[in-house]
Amino acid sequence: MLALLLVTSHVQSVSAGDRELGQYLSSECVTCHQITGKAIEGVPPIVGWPEDQFEAVMKSYKEKERDNPVMQNIAGRLKAEDIAALATYFRELR
Amino acid sequence: MKISRRHFISASASFAGVMMLGAPSVIGQAKPRVVVIGGGAGGATAAKYIAKDSGGAIAVTLIEPNAKYQTCFHSNLYLGGFRDYPSIVHDYAMLKSKYGIDVVSESATRIDRDKKEVSLSGGKTVAYDRLVVSPGIDLKYDSVPGWSQAAEEVMPHAWKPGAQTLLLKKRLDAVENGGVIVMIAPPNPYRCPPGPYERVSMMAHALKVAGKDRCKIFVIDPKETFSKQGLFQQGWEKYYKGMVEWLGPKVHDGVKSVDPASGTVVTGFETYKNAALVNVIPAQMAGAIARDAMLANASGFCAIDPTNMKSAVDSNIYILGDASIAGDMPKSAFSANSQAKVAALMIRGELAGARTFDARYSNTCWSLIETDDCVKVGGAYEAKDGKITASSTFVSKTDETPDVRKQSQAENMAWYAGISADIFT
Ligand SMILES: Cc1cc2nc3c(=O)[nH]c(=O)nc-3n(C[C@H](O)[C@H](O)[C@H](O)COP(=O)(O)OP(=O)(O)OC[C@H]3O[C@@H](n4cnc5c(N)ncnc54)[C@H](O)[C@@H]3O)c2cc1C
Ligand code: HEC
Repeated sequence: MLALLLVTSHVQSVSAGDRELGQYLSSECVTCHQITGKAIEGVPPIVGWPEDQFEAVMKSYKEKERDNPVMQNIAGRLKAEDIAALATYFRELR
Repeated sequence: MKISRRHFISASASFAGVMMLGAPSVIGQAKPRVVVIGGGAGGATAAKYIAKDSGGAIAVTLIEPNAKYQTCFHSNLYLGGFRDYPSIVHDYAMLKSKYGIDVVSESATRIDRDKKEVSLSGGKTVAYDRLVVSPGIDLKYDSVPGWSQAAEEVMPHAWKPGAQTLLLKKRLDAVENGGVIVMIAPPNPYRCPPGPYERVSMMAHALKVAGKDRCKIFVIDPKETFSKQGLFQQGWEKYYKGMVEWLGPKVHDGVKSVDPASGTVVTGFETYKNAALVNVIPAQMAGAIARDAMLANASGFCAIDPTNMKSAVDSNIYILGDASIAGDMPKSAFSANSQAKVAALMIRGELAGARTFDARYSNTCWSLIETDDCVKVGGAYEAKDGKITASSTFVSKTDETPDVRKQSQAENMAWYAGISADIFT
């Protein structure tokens, strides 16, 4: 148990986002985005991005600066911690 | 000390293992068992996500009689010539090989809720700790006077996929220039609210490109209004002028009868004789297996707990997709897939001690009107006021640029690739 706690705290110090939350929330995204990171015309790849860029893009959909209504609708309800969790999850996916 | 991500995952997996021993439902038993009835958009997604995310801690059995899943979604695009048939057919091979799901090619014939057992058409029974029921719809053959199950060979519905989809396409392609097509649209609630109207668009498109623009499609609708109505009617006027006529109930005064032998449709307003094709989309209800187990209410569909997709009448059972009463969510593959992910999380929470989060649902439905002209409607949903409630919605506008419409069609095609990979690979 102790070892596990150490592992957990270690991971939290290197990754901003909550991985389990990210995994759950990501299940919505992969209905359209390919989990393999494959690009398909119409829906761009979102795997492996630097977290800060990913978060900035998600916030721009949330704030309706980027104008795709599909992504605005999806990003609209995400809180900052949700976006951080997703950013971490998708960065780590390979 | 540097610990890799892989170490972290295996550590948390064994942590989940420790938690599992404490979970009451699994005492004295090797592995908790989940049985899923129906390998469609809801059931196959649930089976995959439970198996994948529990890393083998939960035994998952998927019961589905068909070896291949032929999607209703994008079957209209097949009708319009925008897809070939093999591209809308999928199989369960990866669900077996990659996630270790036990895929049983039989029908579930009975659910014994007291014993927590499902009987199969082959004679065996399978026991469950949690059951997922996602059988889709059954058609109310008696909702259109004169129509019947036997008549579907002559007046196809194509609202359940497979042979019916192929038959409708064959019949459409055989319509001669000047022929009359009658679509009898369904009453609410039904699978895929914009589906009938996308189908009308795709039929008109196929006729037009075949040079058969003297054909006429009459839509006899029991509803006063329908999904994306302004967008569809604008599109029909723009691309298929004179080919499509939509009639609401005040105009046609109800379908009085159909005669499959002579291709006749009698409404209170007019009789259509010698129709080249009649597409009957009847009223619908939850699949029989759900109704027979008394999971449906008087509406014919199954009430659920919006926080987790559990049946309102049996806490060991989850109901997904078209069979469920999902509040503001339409009956769509997108919705069924979204609901399945919520259920999978909650089931892992119950059986394997996984951390759970508040349910979030979403949907987007695209409809193709003509080449490169696609419209969409969507929403985000949550549990609120005792039902699944929309927290935000959007719909395409009538004054969008051609570029936006074309982009929406690219999204539509990419979504299909996405959801089919998400369900079956
Ligand atoms: C023309 C048309 C166009 C559509 N377009 C779209 C679209 O563009 N986007 C979208 O999101 N949705 C669309 N839909 C809707 C979508 O197809 C359904 O909402 C979706 O398939 C529902 O998923 P489900 O899991 O509830 O049922 P289904 O996908 O129908 O799956 C049910 C499965 O259960 C099996 N089954 C039934 N009874 C039993 C039993 N007793 N034992 C074992 N197995 C059983 C069936 O064989 C079937 O495979 C469309 C539908 C139609 C008809
Ligand atoms: C209904 C389909 C759909 C779903 C579900 C979806 N997306 Fe998107 N996503 C799109 C489309 C379409 C675009 C392109 C939008 C545009 O043109 O701006 C996009 C763009 C993006 C981008 C920008 C990519 C780039 O290269 O600019 C990111 C990041 C993103 N999505 C993340 C997500 C995340 C995270 C989720 C889940 C919470 C998600 N998406 C769910 C359809 C979807």
